[in-house]
Amino acid sequence: MKILAIDTSTVMATCAVLDEDNLLGEFSLNQNFGHSENLVPMVKTLLDNLSLKVSDIDLYGVAVGPGSFTGLRIGIATVKAFAHVYNKPIVGISTLEGLAFNLSHRGIIVPMIDARRNRVYTGIYKWENGYLNNIEEDTVMEIDQLLEHLGENYNNIMVNGNGINIHREKIKDKLGDKVEFAPNIHNTCRAASIGELALLKKDHGKLSNYFTLVPEYLRESQAQRDYKKKERDN
Amino acid sequence: MVKIILKNPKESQDFGEKLGRILKGGDVISLTGDLGAGKTTITKAIGKGLEVEEYITSPTFALINQYEGRVRVYHFDVYRLEGVEDLYDLGFEDYFYSDGVTIVEWGDKIHGLLPEHTIHIQIEKGKELNERIVTISGQGERYSEIVEELRKS
Repeated sequence: MKILAIDTSTVMATCAVLDEDNLLGEFSLNQNFGHSENLVPMVKTLLDNLSLKVSDIDLYGVAVGPGSFTGLRIGIATVKAFAHVYNKPIVGISTLEGLAFNLSHRGIIVPMIDARRNRVYTGIYKWENGYLNNIEEDTVMEIDQLLEHLGENYNNIMVNGNGINIHREKIKDKLGDKVEFAPNIHNTCRAASIGELALLKKDHGKLSNYFTLVPEYLRESQAQRDYKKKERDN
Repeated sequence: MVKIILKNPKESQDFGEKLGRILKGGDVISLTGDLGAGKTTITKAIGKGLEVEEYITSPTFALINQYEGRVRVYHFDVYRLEGVEDLYDLGFEDYFYSDGVTIVEWGDKIHGLLPEHTIHIQIEKGKELNERIVTISGQGERYSEIVEELRKS
């Protein structure tokens, strides 16, 4: 079985091919938001170098967000097109879960993706019996609120994602020796993680298809926005 | 906050062009003012200063137009937005936080969604027929830089 995985949630465009036992190849460019021009040629380069064709792919994995609106649509539309042509299943993976999967930390793992205006997309993950479990659901929140929550409830935290580059000083300041920062190479989205997760989820029957798969933007709810507006106006 | 009085259309044009020459990729301008205050006229002038050669029209129905100038220019008109959801469906954050210059007409309608570094420009009609009073406000380093540049003649 060959899996093709794609993640274009952030500025990193990344694609990978895996089988059940190995990562066969991965191609990532952390350059700009030229995903619409770059992604398909990247997939072609990767497949050509592995002497594979799109028709050889049995399963697709794609990061469904949260992340860049345009980026998510490009990644998901591309995977849907491939899957549609050859009638193959897709597994949608949380971008945050993909980031957490980059790390093998024994404590809790908190990926953070910049959501602008001092907010991050985040979730809380932990490895238990060889599985990466989601302890607290993916959400969007103010960085201050998240750090307060982490400080009160957790120890032995490892963080990664582009949010930590922006808020590094604040995270250090608020969490002190409770927190460790992931090395830079494990800080960015990797299609290899999305691909392996897709394989694991497929085995648990969590399959999607080219009709039903949708992006997960994790927007603030109307209630959250109203609350903030109220706070601002007071 | 800076208040500038523009006595006639020529001065409004010069102001817009000058602002356009100062702007850099990443800047966001919010324009506020009644219908007929001259938001689109100022936008056109800003576009000229940004070396946009294409004819800039109001994106009231398209919601957003994109132009190629010295940097990429995104021109929003959010007057017709039914609610914030419409803006989310445009993927607005990818524009507001891009390497291009973003100009938002009726920006006050989406105040909470504008970036912190937004330069707010309010345009009001003055006492004379073609007189306009422009009030510029904002915060941060870029705001100070822009105001300083505008003061230089």
